[in-house]
Amino acid sequence: MMRASGLTKKYGDKTVVDDLSFEVHPGTVTGFLGPNGAGKSTTMRMLLGLDAPTRGTATIGGRPYAAHPAPLTEVGALLEARSVHPGRTAHAHLTALALTHGIPRSRVDHVLDLAGLTEVARRRVKGFSLGMGQRLGIAAALLGDPATVILDEPVNGLDPEGVLWIRNLLKSLAAEGRTVLVSSHLMSEMALTADHLVIIGKGRLLADTTVDAFVREAGAGAVKVVTPSAAELAALLTGPSVTVTGDSPGTLTVRGCDSAHIGRTAAAHGIPLVELTPHTASLEQAFMDLTRDAVEYQATVRTPAQATARTSTQTGAQTSAQATALEGTSA
Amino acid sequence: MSTPTHAVTSPRSYAVTPARVLRSEWHKLWSVRSTWITLLFSAVAMVGVGLLVAANYEDGSREFVDPIQIGLAGTQIAMISLPVLGVLCTAGEYTSGMIRATLTAVPRRVPVLWAKTGVLTATVFPLTLATCLIGYPLAQSFLTGTDQEAALTDPGVLGAVLGTAASLTALSVFALALGALLRSVAGAIGAYVGGIMILPEVISMIPVDAVDTAMEYFPAQAAGNISALDAVAGAGAPSPAASLLALGLWAFGTVAVAGLLLKRRDV
Repeated sequence: MMRASGLTKKYGDKTVVDDLSFEVHPGTVTGFLGPNGAGKSTTMRMLLGLDAPTRGTATIGGRPYAAHPAPLTEVGALLEARSVHPGRTAHAHLTALALTHGIPRSRVDHVLDLAGLTEVARRRVKGFSLGMGQRLGIAAALLGDPATVILDEPVNGLDPEGVLWIRNLLKSLAAEGRTVLVSSHLMSEMALTADHLVIIGKGRLLADTTVDAFVREAGAGAVKVVTPSAAELAALLTGPSVTVTGDSPGTLTVRGCDSAHIGRTAAAHGIPLVELTPHTASLEQAFMDLTRDAVEYQATVRTPAQATARTSTQTGAQTSAQATALEGTSA
Repeated sequence: MSTPTHAVTSPRSYAVTPARVLRSEWHKLWSVRSTWITLLFSAVAMVGVGLLVAANYEDGSREFVDPIQIGLAGTQIAMISLPVLGVLCTAGEYTSGMIRATLTAVPRRVPVLWAKTGVLTATVFPLTLATCLIGYPLAQSFLTGTDQEAALTDPGVLGAVLGTAASLTALSVFALALGALLRSVAGAIGAYVGGIMILPEVISMIPVDAVDTAMEYFPAQAAGNISALDAVAGAGAPSPAASLLALGLWAFGTVAVAGLLLKRRDV
C-alpha cells in the first residue's frame, strides 16, 4: 500500500503539489489523473524519493521508499520515457540495475521476454522507437518482481497493440495482488484500465473515487427537462431508481430513466415539455469540467453517497482509512 | 495498517549492498562504447606523443625539459581525455536520464558516487601506469646518448612515472566529482578545462607572492610537480609527496562535496 499525506512541493514560491493526501491500495489499478502540469510526475518522484517534499510524507508499504533494503523488489517505476543511456544495450541496462540488488541474469531475460524485447535485447537503446523505449522502461519496472508498480504515462508513444498490452498488463498485475498506480492525462484510457481514480489539478486533490462513481457523477444517463409544470413532473417521475433535481425554476435533471419514458409520462399526464435533452457529457468532458476549476468542484465531488459507493467495494480496514482521509482533506 | 499479502515471492536475499553497487557501476562503465574509445585514445596518445617528441628531440635542452616531460609528453592530452571519461560517468547519467533509474535502484544515493569513484580509479590508474611503463622505455630508445637518457631504474624516474599515473587518476576523479556537482557534461568539461588550464593563468597575473605559492597547489600544477624529476623542479616547488597530497585532497574533497549535494538535491 502506498500513502501520501500532506504532500507538498514548492519550487521557489510556486506550489506544484499542494497538501496532497491519498492512498493507493493493493489489488486494484489506481489511475492518477490530472491535466498537464497538475503535479502528477512531481508526486510520483516524491513517492520514489527522487524529489524531497517541502512538507508531508510519502510511504510505500509503511516506509519511505529509501528505507527499503531492496527497493526494486518493493516498487517498480517507469518515470519519464527515457531513463536509459542511449549507448547501452537493453540487456546491459537491465543488468546494471539487477546487479545493484543481486537479481540474477535469468530474471533480466525474463522481463525482456515479458516486454517483448528479446530480439532487440542486444541492440543499443539509441536505435529504439518510442514504443520500444517504453517497453524497456516497463521491463525495468518489473525487474525486481515488485509489490508496487508506479507508471508515469505508460501508453505514451505506444501503438494500439502496445496500448492493449499495457492495459492487460496493468490488470493482471493488480489481479496478482499488487498495488498499481498509473498516471495519465487521458480520462478515456483510464476509464478502460483503472478501478480507482485519484484526480489532481494544480497540485490539489480534486477527487479520490472509483471509476464507477465518477461515471455516475459525470452525469452519464441524465436527461435535462424544461417544462412549465416542473414540480408536477418531478413528483410523477421520482421513484426508487430515479432521482430528479431542479437546477433552476422550470428545469429538471432526471437520472435513472431515459428520455422516452419521460416523454411518455409527460404526455400521459398532459404536461407540456419545452425541452427534453439526453445529457451526453462524456467522461472526458466530466474530467475537464472537474479539473477546470479546482475549488468549485472540490465540494460537489466528495458527496457522502459517493464515499459509500466507493468504500462498499473495499474491505473494512480500508473503509475507515478512507473516511479518515476524507475528513483530513475536508478540514 | 496491515498490508495485504501480495502474490510476489521474491527471495529476501535481494538487497542493495556496497559490493553490488560497485559491481553495477563496473558493468555500467564497460557497457558503453565511449569508455573503450576514451581509454584507447588516451593510451595511444600517451605513447604516440611521447615517441614523437622523443624522436624529434634535439640534444642540449635539459635545463628546460626533463626525460619524463619528453617520454610522457602525451600526458598533456590524457589530462583532458581521461577526466572527460570521469565527467561522462556522472554528468552523462544526468544528460541521458539514467540517473533516475540509478537512484531509484540505490535510493541512499551516496554509495553510487563512491562506487563510481572506485571503479574509475581501478580503471584509470592501472591503465595509465601500464601505458607509462610501455611508453617511457620506448621513448627512451630514441634518447640513448642524449642528455635525456634516464632508465626507469634511475633514481626518481620510477617515482615520477608512478606519480604521473596517480595524478592522471586524481584529475579524473576530480572531474568525475565536477560532473556530479554540475550535472551537465558540457558544463563539467568546461569547468574542468577552465579551472585547470585557464584559471591558474588568470590568477597568476595577481602580483602577490602568496598567490604564486598557492598556485603550486592547484590541480594541474600539483600534477606537474608530482611527475617532475627533481632536477627540473628545484625552484622552491612543493615536494612530489606534498603535491600528491594536495591533488588527492582536491579530488577527495570535491567528491565529498558532490556526495553531500547528491544526498540533498532533487533529481
